[in-house]
Amino acid sequence: MSSRSRITVILGACLAVAAVTVLAQREQPPRSSGSRSQADASAAIVASAQAVLATLDDAGKAKVQFPFDSTQKTRWSNLPSPMFQRNGLRLADLTAPQRAAVMTLLSVALSADGYRKVADIMHGDEVLRQTGGGRGQGRGPGGSGGGPSFGENQYYLAFVGAPAIGTPWMLQFGGHHLAINFTLMGANATMAPSLTGAQPASYSIEGRTVRPLGAENDKAFALVNALDPSQRTQAILNYRVPDLVLGPGQDGRTIQPEGIRASALTPAQQNMLWDLVREWTGIINDAFAAPRMADIRSRLNDTYFAWSGPTTNGSAAYFRVQGPTLVIEYAPQGGVDHIHTIYRDPRNDYGIGFMRQ
Amino acid sequence: MGSVSCASKLTAAALTLGATVLLSATASAHRLDECLQVARLDVEPDHIDLELDLTPGVAVASGIVGDIDGDHDGVFSPAERTAYAARVLERIVLQVDGQPLHGQLASATFPNADALRRGEGTIQLRSRVIVPSLSRGRHNVFFRNLYHPDGSVYAANALVPDSDRVRITAQHRDGDQREITIGYLMRDEDEVSQVSWWLGGLAGCALCVLFVMRLRVGALPRVLQR
Repeated sequence: MSSRSRITVILGACLAVAAVTVLAQREQPPRSSGSRSQADASAAIVASAQAVLATLDDAGKAKVQFPFDSTQKTRWSNLPSPMFQRNGLRLADLTAPQRAAVMTLLSVALSADGYRKVADIMHGDEVLRQTGGGRGQGRGPGGSGGGPSFGENQYYLAFVGAPAIGTPWMLQFGGHHLAINFTLMGANATMAPSLTGAQPASYSIEGRTVRPLGAENDKAFALVNALDPSQRTQAILNYRVPDLVLGPGQDGRTIQPEGIRASALTPAQQNMLWDLVREWTGIINDAFAAPRMADIRSRLNDTYFAWSGPTTNGSAAYFRVQGPTLVIEYAPQGGVDHIHTIYRDPRNDYGIGFMRQ
Repeated sequence: MGSVSCASKLTAAALTLGATVLLSATASAHRLDECLQVARLDVEPDHIDLELDLTPGVAVASGIVGDIDGDHDGVFSPAERTAYAARVLERIVLQVDGQPLHGQLASATFPNADALRRGEGTIQLRSRVIVPSLSRGRHNVFFRNLYHPDGSVYAANALVPDSDRVRITAQHRDGDQREITIGYLMRDEDEVSQVSWWLGGLAGCALCVLFVMRLRVGALPRVLQR
C-alpha cells in the first residue's frame, strides 16, 4: 500500500470514528445491552416483585397493577396524600408479611445507600407527623376529606406493567417527599425521573442524628467552596430559585443549561462533582448505577453546575447539575429544613431510550 | 444494605422514644402565603410559546379564587376562565428586540375552586406569540411578569428550542426572576440546511470508509487491527 493510501485510510478511519461517536452521542442514549450483573439484578428484582404479588389476594393485585402504557406512569408528586391522591397499595393497609415483602423488594431494587436514604425520608415523615406536621387534619392546608396525611405508613406501591424479565415494567414507590420511578426492561434499568425530599432535614433517633439528604447538601457546599473566584462567577446565578424547575409534571421539558461547564473544573473538582451526582445515580442497585455514571462522566463538555444562594454550609442554597442525559436539582423551601430534589434523564425518563433501542 | 429489621427497629425507636427534631418543623409542608409563578419560554423562529403556571398558597388562594369566580357561585365557568386568563396575560410584558408583542391564549387549565382554595392546585396558562420575520443574527426576548406582584415568587426559564435555527446564547434575570432577557442567535434555513448537508455528507463518507475497511480488514493499519 502506498503512503498516500495509508494516509487516506488513517484519515478515513479517524473521520469515521469521530462521525460514529458524534452520531451515537446525538441520537441514542448509550445503554449497554446489559452485563451479567445487570441481568442478575433484574432477575432478582423481578423475583422480589413477584413475591410481593404472591402475598396479595385478587383485590390487592388489582389495586397494585396498572397497564404499562397507562397514565399511572407519570402520576407522582412530592405532595402528601390526599393533597395528591396516589394509586396503588398503601403501606398502612398491608399485613406484616406483605409489608416485609415490599421492603425486601425495595432493598433488592436499590443500593444499600439508596435503601437507607428512602428509609430515612420515610422516618423523617413519621417525625413530621409526630411533631405536629399532620395536625391540620380536616382544616388548614388539608386535602379533600382531611388534612395532609404524613407518616411512614402513607407510602404507596404500584406496578406499571407486569413484573417480568422480557417485557418493560415499572416499580413505583412514593409518598410525601418521595417518588421512586424504577423502569426495568430486560437487563437495563433506570430510576429517572425520581424525587427525593426531606422535612425535617435533620432529626434524631436514639441519639443518632439523621439527615436524609445531608450528603447531597454537604458535597455540594464543598464543591462550590472549592471553586476559584473566576469559576464562581460562572457557576453562581444572580437570581433566587424558589423551587424545582423540572419537578413533578414537567416531563419532556428541557431548559437551557446554565452555570459552569464540568470541563472548566479541575480534575479534583470534577471528582467532587461526580461524587455529588452519585448521591442520586447511586440510589439504584449498584449493577445499574455504574454504567449510568460512566455515561454521565463521558459528557463532561456538556455538563453544567449552577448554584443560587449563599455558599456557607448551613445556609439555604439551590443547585443544579445538568447534562444531555442528566438533570439534578436541589431546592430548599424557604429554609434549610425542607428540601425538594429531582433526578431526571431527558433522553431516558421512564425508559423511553430503552424502548427506542 | 439496610435490612427490614433495621428499618423496623428504627421505626420502633421513633415511636417509643419519640423523635427530637433538631430544626423546627412547621405544621404544613408546603408554600402557604405566596403564589408561585413559573414561566417557561420556548423561542422558535416564527413564534414564542409561553407557559405560565400559577400555584397560589392557601393563604393567598382565596383572593385569586375571588378574582376568577366573578359571580361567586363556587364554579369557574368557561367565560370566567377565559376572562381571568386574559387579565393575567395583560400583565405580561413580552418584547422581541424591544418591540412589544401580544400573545393569544392557546389553553387554560384550572383546578376546581375548592382545590385552589386549599392551596392544592395549579392554574396552567399557555399562550403563543407570533414573531414577525427576523433576519439572521442576534436577537433578544424580554419577559416581565407583573401579575399579582404582592406575595408572589417567580421562576423564568428558556426552554431548549425545537428548531435548529435558534440557539439560546444568554439568559439575564433580575434577582427575583420576575424579568428575564433571553439572547438568541437566529440562522436562516439555507444556512442550517447547508450545515446539515455538509455534516451528513461527511458522516456518510466516513461510514462508507469504515464499512469498506471492515470488509477488507487487511487494509487497516496494524495499530487499528489490535
